[in-house]
Amino acid sequence: MIQPGTTFHQIYKVDDSIYNGFVNTFLDRNPLHTNEEFAQKKGFSTRVMHGNILNGFISHFIGECLPTKDVIIHSQKIEYVKPVYLNDILELTMLVADYFESVRMLEFKFHFENQQQIKVAKGEISIGLI
Amino acid sequence: MDILKQVNDIFIDILDNDDIILTGTTTALDVEEWDSLTHIQLVVAIEKHFKLRFTSMEIRKWKNVGEMCNDIENRIN
Repeated sequence: MIQPGTTFHQIYKVDDSIYNGFVNTFLDRNPLHTNEEFAQKKGFSTRVMHGNILNGFISHFIGECLPTKDVIIHSQKIEYVKPVYLNDILELTMLVADYFESVRMLEFKFHFENQQQIKVAKGEISIGLI
Repeated sequence: MDILKQVNDIFIDILDNDDIILTGTTTALDVEEWDSLTHIQLVVAIEKHFKLRFTSMEIRKWKNVGEMCNDIENRIN
């Protein structure tokens, strides 16, 4: 049983294969993500990675890194608080915030920090134990 | 506000249907959006709203909304 108060950590790198895979799969070629000059004109140091790449990491964590594979995501919300750039190394921290035994549902609070220990995203996710 | 009214408001919010009118005899068969997945959301919302926790054994005994409300009333009084 995954107890409230338990914390999990997982490291992810936003590398070329993930970035290109995302662009080529979902076809979001907005210049903020694909054009360095455009991104710099908007005040960013370089191309900003798609926020939903982080949701892919969350999907990986829930599906592959928990002590059980008997899970389904019910809901999640995420706030992007700082930009993520290509080759950033992100540490995902997942805290088990609550457990509802009646319906076997876990609530997590999570955040991502980059290699400079800057929080780049945070959110909550609810999963069912099936 | 009585418990049934509060539960009704939770159903409206979670199921996103302003037309829901619960009675004591309402079951999942009477509410189109009330399925196995939304049931989980409903129970969690009810537990949070009334600041109580049920067990899986308890909720399996509910045959209708009335029995759910009776359990809530017994727990908060």
